Amino acid sequence: MNKTSNIVAHHRPNLLVEALADLVGELIPGNEEWPSGRDVGVQYSLQLRFIEEKGDASLPALTAALVAIGAPFGNLDGAARLEAVQNLEASEPKLFGWRRDAAYFAYYATPGVIEVINGRGTPLHARPHLNGYDLPPFDRATQTPTHGRGHWIPTEAVARVDVSTLELGRRITTAWGMKR
Amino acid sequence: MIARDDVRDVLIIGSGATGALSAMVLAQAGLDVICLEQGGWIERKDFVHSHTDWSWQRQTNWNPDVNRRLHADGYPVHSDSSQVLMWNGVGGSTNAYGAIWPRYRPSDFRKGDEHGLQPNWPISYEEIAPFYERVDRIVGVSGLCGDPAMPPREECPTGPLPFGLAAQRLAKAFDKLGWHWWPVEAGVISRDYDGRPACNGCGMCNGCPRGSMSLFSQSVWPKALAAGAELKTHARVLRIETGADGRASGAIWKNRITGAEERTRARVVIVAANGVGTPRLLLASDNLANSSGHVGRNLLHHTLVGAQIWVDEPVNAQMGYIASLFSREFAETDISRGFVNGFNFNCLTSTPSPGEMAAGWLTNTRAPWGAGHHDWIASRFGHSIGFFAIGDDLPSPDNRVFLNDEATDEDGVPVISMHYEPGENDRRMMNFMLDRMVDVADAAGAFDVALQDYRDESGVYRTPAWHMIGTCRMGDDPEDSVVNGWHQSWDVPNMFIVDGSVLATGGVVNPTPTISALALRASEYIRDNFAELSYTTKTIPK
Ligand SMILES: Cc1cc2nc3c(=O)[nH]c(=O)nc-3n(C[C@H](O)[C@H](O)[C@H](O)COP(=O)(O)OP(=O)(O)OC[C@H]3O[C@@H](n4cnc5c(N)ncnc54)[C@H](O)[C@@H]3O)c2cc1C
Repeated sequence: MNKTSNIVAHHRPNLLVEALADLVGELIPGNEEWPSGRDVGVQYSLQLRFIEEKGDASLPALTAALVAIGAPFGNLDGAARLEAVQNLEASEPKLFGWRRDAAYFAYYATPGVIEVINGRGTPLHARPHLNGYDLPPFDRATQTPTHGRGHWIPTEAVARVDVSTLELGRRITTAWGMKR
Repeated sequence: MIARDDVRDVLIIGSGATGALSAMVLAQAGLDVICLEQGGWIERKDFVHSHTDWSWQRQTNWNPDVNRRLHADGYPVHSDSSQVLMWNGVGGSTNAYGAIWPRYRPSDFRKGDEHGLQPNWPISYEEIAPFYERVDRIVGVSGLCGDPAMPPREECPTGPLPFGLAAQRLAKAFDKLGWHWWPVEAGVISRDYDGRPACNGCGMCNGCPRGSMSLFSQSVWPKALAAGAELKTHARVLRIETGADGRASGAIWKNRITGAEERTRARVVIVAANGVGTPRLLLASDNLANSSGHVGRNLLHHTLVGAQIWVDEPVNAQMGYIASLFSREFAETDISRGFVNGFNFNCLTSTPSPGEMAAGWLTNTRAPWGAGHHDWIASRFGHSIGFFAIGDDLPSPDNRVFLNDEATDEDGVPVISMHYEPGENDRRMMNFMLDRMVDVADAAGAFDVALQDYRDESGVYRTPAWHMIGTCRMGDDPEDSVVNGWHQSWDVPNMFIVDGSVLATGGVVNPTPTISALALRASEYIRDNFAELSYTTKTIPK
């Protein structure tokens, strides 16, 4: 951390939480239907989770990183805020990703947000395990498959296949998975 | 060192799925049984399921990855590839599992005959089949019999779980493709059973504190304890000891409460510490039972790739049991595909939490931050379905767990390392699987599909290894296997390995029904031959 941010941090004990509030306000902005991340207090969870995961000693560095992009944003206009957060993402993508994901987790665990989701017709409980969901039981009459497809090979019918054409001894498939 | 004079009938190391079953069978037979477990009981309140931040905790405190959770009951596993998923405590990894409950098929036991790139098992499907039925009744299972892609089976103790909108959508997609599908079998009860309540469809199937899912701490351990088995928790076994006659005499363990080292002696020793813990213990016990050189080798995880699809109509797959249906269309070898062995589709429902979906569930597809965030969630949460393809990987001696020369844990036992890399056949199979997943997405009318091949930026395959098997495989040749068909060590005749490490092949499905059926069978063998096993100095082929 540089000297300036140290001094600032010293004089504004809430600096980190203010900066985080601005950050989560950009990550999860509000609109007429959804509250913003800031409105539901994601910044507070984020601060605590940061301590749990990265340790108390990491807070000054976090504060410094946010101060370095101009947070708290004060009078910055929308475009400048967006650019500031984009810069943060570009400068430290991994850490940024952690903060973004942690913000998402905190946001969607909030009662107000769960209420919005239910209001949209998607059933969601804050703690589903307690009471579960009412689901119609399996209906044997209509839901038992009737396609008749599928086969299996009995033990005594397992027959030798010729693997010689496969050339499995050679490493041929170097391009595999999603990048082919 | 605290050493007791008494010699117990049976010492079991590890209290997971298999240790629980052994303790139950042998205590019910009137034998004096002690089980040593390095972890503790997981109390209902310790599960995260009723916490408000449960979905965050599934990434942290309830993360099944032993290296991410860093709980004192666990132990570090240095892995240069796989994510090491397991749980350490009473009930073992079943505390955090999903309880998808399919069986192996007859050809899984005959791969030596089929192509010779894997060994035959020393036992056949027919020998294990009755034990599948009995395990299902002990633990409580739901499902539907009559699947034409499987040998006939008895009715499941409880009927199939609800067949939700996601399942119906997928079933239609498989019909369109002309592929097999069948409702999933689950170690979860659809009606009250054995004193436990029916599944309430909460969707949070990483363990289940209410008891609807069969955690072995809730379904089997109560029966073992009622029969008189002694379960010592926080008892980490450091090494197994042998006598001059080559028999196991017992074990040295650390009492993690008092810090003292203790010795327990026994007539028969059963190792049930899973596919990593068992080889670790044997290797740390002066390379015990390893005349074949196979202890720790031939690690199998299954070939595994995943997909997530999104559809326009709501499927509300955040509700209900985590899995919906299987497709066994590709379960048998068809050489025209360019590889041997087959695979299974395990169709999931979806994540129960919008936070998990936004932060990247199954395929790491994340919600954008900023302006587009809410539209993304609105169109995707309640509209997503996930599925895996899971196949039979070929064994390689280089895929293994082994002792680390440089690092020891807090008890001075060498840390275990893991290396796993898919071979040529596995890579071809995974390419084929990914292509078939796109076919499913198309047939389901998905507006988006994302795939997961579990390769990192450098191309390393980092599979979530919830299946860790093969590392002490069974066989009928002492030079090519660690135990015989009764799970008896070739080298130490009164030592049995009953956990998942004995599986000679992985099949195309989740392994715990097979692991459990085998453990039940082995335990009954020990029970029925206990007198002879108390003195024998020779293992004979099964
Ligand atoms: C996240 C997750 C999801 C899964 N989902 C499924 C599924 O849907 N279907 C399925 O079939 N399977 C599933 N599995 C796999 C399943 O949990 C295992 O196959 C099963 O638990 C294996 O039983 P086991 O007895 O071999 O080992 P475990 O259940 O792992 O038990 C081993 C026990 O031994 C103890 N131990 C180890 N070393 C020592 C020592 N030195 N001293 C004392 N104690 C020791 C451990 O602490 C542990 O409690 C899943 C696993 C995970 C982690």
